[in-house]
Amino acid sequence: MPVEKVTQVSQTKPWYGALSSKYGEALLKTPEPGLYGQYTYGIAGERFFREIKDNAKITGAKCQKCNLIYVPPRIYCERCFEGLEEWCEIENKGEIHTYTIGWVDLDGSRLEEPVILALVKFDGVYGGIVHKVEEISADNVKIGMKVSAVFKEKREGSILDIKYFKPI
Amino acid sequence: MFPKVAIVGIGYTPFRPITPDVSFREMVFEAASKAYEDAGVHPQEDIDSFVTCQDDFEHGRSIWNMQTPDNLGAVLKPIHTNCGDGILGLIDAYMQIKSGLRSIVAVETHSKASNVINRNHLIAHATDPIYNKPLNINPYFIAGMEMNRYLLETGTTKEQCALVVSKNKTNALFNPLAAYGEKITPKEVLDSEEMFSPLKRLDMSPMADGGIVMVLASEEKAKALTDKPIWIRGLGWCSEAPSLETREWGEAIYAKLAGEMAYRIAGIKHPRKQIDFAEVDDTFSYKEPQHMEALKLCRRGEAGSMIEEGATQREGEFPTNVSGGSLGVGFLVEATGPQRVLEVVLQLRGEAGGRQLPDVKVGLAQSWRGIPYASGAVMILSKE
Repeated sequence: MPVEKVTQVSQTKPWYGALSSKYGEALLKTPEPGLYGQYTYGIAGERFFREIKDNAKITGAKCQKCNLIYVPPRIYCERCFEGLEEWCEIENKGEIHTYTIGWVDLDGSRLEEPVILALVKFDGVYGGIVHKVEEISADNVKIGMKVSAVFKEKREGSILDIKYFKPI
Repeated sequence: MFPKVAIVGIGYTPFRPITPDVSFREMVFEAASKAYEDAGVHPQEDIDSFVTCQDDFEHGRSIWNMQTPDNLGAVLKPIHTNCGDGILGLIDAYMQIKSGLRSIVAVETHSKASNVINRNHLIAHATDPIYNKPLNINPYFIAGMEMNRYLLETGTTKEQCALVVSKNKTNALFNPLAAYGEKITPKEVLDSEEMFSPLKRLDMSPMADGGIVMVLASEEKAKALTDKPIWIRGLGWCSEAPSLETREWGEAIYAKLAGEMAYRIAGIKHPRKQIDFAEVDDTFSYKEPQHMEALKLCRRGEAGSMIEEGATQREGEFPTNVSGGSLGVGFLVEATGPQRVLEVVLQLRGEAGGRQLPDVKVGLAQSWRGIPYASGAVMILSKE
């Protein structure tokens, strides 16, 4: 079997012994008060999430020059750098462009049930939405599969207002 | 009118899974001392300018790139700090010399990745805060999604990717600097735990610590300093859109464009014929064939069979990742690209010991910034 090497200093006990105990504790505990921040949704993000919250609809932004529709929408085209002013509604019917089956969580612990994660693209749209896929077993999911977003009943203007995508 | 630029000094610490014996400062001091000794220069007396490449928080501390002047001998001297892969730092130094602004420049990168307790959180923090991060998922899912699309578009197989792991870890056995050399079969790779299917645990390169310092010089200085200068012939760099939603998933466009730029500068028309060996990014097993195709070392969809046929082995027709790559050496964060350049320099100097390739004159080194980004750089070096 492959050799397993220690890759975390936290697992080398003597190392801590050379430092004050406070330092070790500070590494392992969430400090109070901690480092917090906020991130601005911006004009396009505001529009995208307001439509999701109010109407459970996906919004795109169109670049007339490149004939590209951006999802998520934005106020400039990443190709020609023109400003985008035309918003459009995207039909809630997408396709799995690629996916993976995740077996570990953010902390690195193994999940009891794997999670399916996918980039969902929409017809005629440049971009898409990265989200979970449910109501299908990991063995049956395929690239090219048609899926639609399942919205929460009570929405607050977040990507989590989409519960997941499900096969159509 | 513009001087040629050479690498005239190299210094490095062995790459290890953990380095509890030294602080990062002591590690860089060791690498820098070796590089200056190798080049025959003194940092305060001879070196005109310094470049350091570090990303924030990658070592458990913020505004990290400001931490290097003292351990590099660069206090009170001009220093450029660059938040990116170390090949970009070498490119920065190249431009300073090429333009005639400086004659001798030192470049530093290091990894003290073992200081970061849970890297997943760090990478998750680099994903989009409103569209991606709220999903609260392990960010390495990005590699699984990319591998899946790449395999589908090119017909490359999981078995061929497992061969890459086996090859690179075996190569690392011949590299005394490598942290993860071992004899391992493709079956062991395929039997390792599912992580982000189709990506298995052994398809992912483990982290390593280490420091690398290089000294670059103009033609005139290079010839005075050393009888074995390694010349920088071509260089290129490129970034795709940072958003997961609009980037390419099946093809490494950043590597393709960076490669085209480097080939143009080096005057290379047929990369496979004009280059003797390559060190390409293999942070994950599938990245090696994907990058080989992007760099036109074979046609798209052909890297898998090239690996199967043994062409990329140490004794093969086009040796690839003889150093062991990230899978065998360990992933060195921003020092990953410089480790590839280091291997090319050692091979071209004829100092690669048990893994020395015979009669090599031109080598290529390529880096990828790693998830969640689609960004990378290429450098072509030659003996003459």
